[in-house]
Order: sequence, then structure tokens, then C-alpha cells
Amino acid sequence: MLSKIKLVLALAALAFTFALQTSARAQDSMQHEDGMKQNDGMKHEDGMKQDDNMKHGDSMPQENNGKALETGTFHGKVHNTSGRATIYRGEDGKLILRLTNFKTSNGPDVHVILVAAKDADDDANFLKSSTRRVELGKLKGNEGDQNYEVPSGTDLTKFQTVSIYCERFNANFGAAPLEKF
Amino acid sequence: MSTHIGSLLFHRKWILAISLPVLIAAWWAFRPEKLWINQKVNEAAPFASSSEPQPLYTGRLQGEAHQTSGRATVYKAADGTEYLRLTDFSTSNGPDVHVLLGRIGDDNLKQEIVKGQLDSIELGSLKGNQGDQNYSVPPSANLQKYDAVIIYCKRFHAVFGVAKLEQF
Repeated sequence: MLSKIKLVLALAALAFTFALQTSARAQDSMQHEDGMKQNDGMKHEDGMKQDDNMKHGDSMPQENNGKALETGTFHGKVHNTSGRATIYRGEDGKLILRLTNFKTSNGPDVHVILVAAKDADDDANFLKSSTRRVELGKLKGNEGDQNYEVPSGTDLTKFQTVSIYCERFNANFGAAPLEKF
Repeated sequence: MSTHIGSLLFHRKWILAISLPVLIAAWWAFRPEKLWINQKVNEAAPFASSSEPQPLYTGRLQGEAHQTSGRATVYKAADGTEYLRLTDFSTSNGPDVHVLLGRIGDDNLKQEIVKGQLDSIELGSLKGNQGDQNYSVPPSANLQKYDAVIIYCKRFHAVFGVAKLEQF
């Protein structure tokens, strides 16, 4: 009888340890300077004051200016395209694509477009007439940081890839698949 | 004789008349001079004065000793402080797990279990093995040098996951 109780106790102890091993979920929201968040106790004056037990169910505030939404790096070997593409949300919900550390080969009639695809192959004549695209404008320069306005109403869940696109030859110089932060 | 010269001249004109437009068309289509001419631009960030934290570095977490995934991004807040934010994050739960900044080139990171002394900056205990979370980055941290985020189990010197930070 006593050994049975011991066994049960041992099992219970084991079960307890395993239960402790299950996931701990954290849910910090972004740190902000605006007043709304200060009331929330979310503003950190310095590193030391950070409260380790902040669990929040609320999602990040949406209507702020200059929030980074998505990012990705360019690949494109044939035309040596590299750099980073990031989409920010600006005032009035306007979306802005910014290219940084950017480099590609110079060429005729090169455009920046968003394509409704997960990714695009290097140098492929990849745009079928059925591929949906959003034109962001002529490439401003083949090197350097640059910004492009994304037309309002563009659904970023569909248009997931930035492509540096030579319209004349239907060639993809480089593509950056975008990922959420 | 004169007719022969005349036909030769006529031929030349003919060749010229055809080849010149072809050459011009080819130049317009390929713009070969652009192979040597770079067009450099340098636009400022659109939201430099924004109250929104701006991303400085980002990278995806790769699992090492344990399956780890998600994105690590270092933001600069409007007050100038920097913090690391993990999003889409998932790793296995474990004892004494910490978030560190390290160097991606560190030989100690080549194995899943660190044998030597890991050159790192402590950011704090891992708050949760899943979910979005923030960690303050000390102002003294040089992120050019410490370009890796490490999810590290101190007790067993196990590297759960590493993210290489890339600049924006």
C-alpha cells in the first residue's frame, strides 16, 4: 500500500515537471514614445527598468507614422542585384518601399514592381501576362538608397515580392521576397 | 567605269541607310553604355523624424541545438535607446535560457555546444519560448561587431538558435 502511494507520488512529481516544461508565451508590444503607450506602462526609460513579466494580448498600434512592416533582401546573380527592401507605413496609411544598400546593373527601361508571387527567379522572363503586378515607378538609380510610393490599396498579403524589372526585355534583374517583422 | 563607281556608291548608301537605323535601334534597346555608367542616388529615409521605432538590423533565427525560428530585429526608439525585438518567435523551452548578442564569426558558435568562452553581451533571460518580446540593448553595445543574436542555454552551454543581423 505504502509503495503504491510512493509510486503515485513519484508519477505526480514527474507529471508536474513535464507540465512546467510546456511553452511560456511572451507578448510584448512595440515600444513607443506616444502618450497612449506610456499609460500602459510600456515605456522604458532605460534598460534596467524593463519588467520581465509583461504579457500583453493587444496587438501593435496600427496608425503610427513610419512603422516598418515587411522586409527582404534581394537576390539576383545574373545582374548582380543586392540590398534590402523594406516597406514602411507612413502618414495616412500610405505605404513606402525603401531600398537600402542597394545595387543592381544599370540597364534600359528598368522599373520597380511588386509581383503577386512568393518569389521570382533570377533573370527569368518571368512575368507571364497573367502575373499580377503593381508598378512603383522607374528605377531611380542602380545604386544607393531610394524610396518609392506604393499605390494605396495594394494588398501586401498578395504582392509579396519586390522585383527590379526590365520591361523592355521582360527580365527580372533581382527579386526580394518580403517577410513580416 | 563610271557606272561601276556609281553602283558602288549606290551600294554604300544602301548599306548605310539600313545599318544606321539598325545600329540606333540596337543602341536604344540595349543601351550598352550603361554597363559602365552607374546612376547613384541617395535618398534620405522617409521617416527619420518619426516617433515610431526604426529598424536598424534584422535577421532570421536559425535553429542549432534546438529548433528555433522567427525574426530578430534591433530597433532604435525615438528617445535613442535601442532594443531587440523577437517576432514570429519559437524555440524549445529549457532551463536558464538567455538572449545574447555575439559575433557571427565566433568559432565557439560553430558547434551546437559551446566549449570555449563565448564573447557576448547579455540581454536578459528569455521571457518566453514563443511569442513577440523585447529586450533592451545596452548603449555600449557595438552592433557592427556583435552582429548575431544567440538564444543560449547557459546551464548546458547549448546554442538553441542564432540570427545573423544585417543592416538596413
